[in-house]
Amino acid sequence: MAVAADRTSVASRPVQRYKLRVGMFAWILHRLTGLALVGYLVLHVWGLKAITNPEAYNALITSYHAPIFKVGEFLLLGAVIYHALNGLRIVLIDFVGWSPNQKRLFWTLGAVAAVLFAVGGYPSIAALVDHLNG
Amino acid sequence: MASKYGRTARSSAFQWFAHRITGTFLIFLLITHFWVQHYDRTTASISHSVVTADEAEAGVLPRYSEEAAEAVRAFEARDAAPATPDAPRVVPAQIGDPEGDAPGPTHPPGEVAGPTPYEVLMLRLGDPVYAVLWKGFNLLFLAFALHHGFYGLNNVLTDYIRNDMARVGATALSWTLALVLFVVGAYSVIVAGL
Repeated sequence: MAVAADRTSVASRPVQRYKLRVGMFAWILHRLTGLALVGYLVLHVWGLKAITNPEAYNALITSYHAPIFKVGEFLLLGAVIYHALNGLRIVLIDFVGWSPNQKRLFWTLGAVAAVLFAVGGYPSIAALVDHLNG
Repeated sequence: MASKYGRTARSSAFQWFAHRITGTFLIFLLITHFWVQHYDRTTASISHSVVTADEAEAGVLPRYSEEAAEAVRAFEARDAAPATPDAPRVVPAQIGDPEGDAPGPTHPPGEVAGPTPYEVLMLRLGDPVYAVLWKGFNLLFLAFALHHGFYGLNNVLTDYIRNDMARVGATALSWTLALVLFVVGAYSVIVAGL
């Protein structure tokens, strides 16, 4: 059977290979940011158990203000913005039938993402720069 | 009906639909979440100050705006006797300082001690009126984020794990983790501030 033959040939390849076009690139990045966000979600929910204990909560929030977390926040914001906007694009394609426009939509949302990233990421980076300048 | 992913009679059409609905909702939930944590003048701190490990060791806490300090004072004053110009309200001892003598070193010497992160959190979760709304918001956020995240994770697992047993195992394990996180998270949110 074609399907069975296909599966064995795919399975024999050590690493899955994808053709890089805009749509495929968007999809791969959506997966990678999605996985990163699930990992973050697990740590975040588990860490916030401290919410029931004032001292533990203060210590947790203080640790979130470490310089390295400023960089982490910036990356997190980037992942969230990308995943949210590309997700919105998927919803528009699936529900509203915008597939003929999907490439234009990708670049338009890319521009929106760049603006959100700059505005939203500014406080983290400004705080870090302030700290590094003493 | 057998699918190419194994023998299953269940269609995942509802899950697929729900994934798009939760995703769309999460955009709005996240905007609110970010606003409160990073931009609202009364509650935001996360992005606005850096506390190094050494400073944290010395008891330095993140800095909040004057609006936050004002809101915490007003919030605490509701329980205590109303302050008058003749008898100013006594500032309660810092949390984590059972002796109750000098306020803890929440800031470098020479600066006025600001509110602690927990006190700012209690503006929302300890409020007799709005706590129910905020806890409801957090529970909805938690459920949607976990379902969306773990359904997405399972899409990825299903794509790459080609051994049937391993795939079923990974699915069971991941949804168990999601359930544990939901119980832990929901308990934390409900109990906080009670």
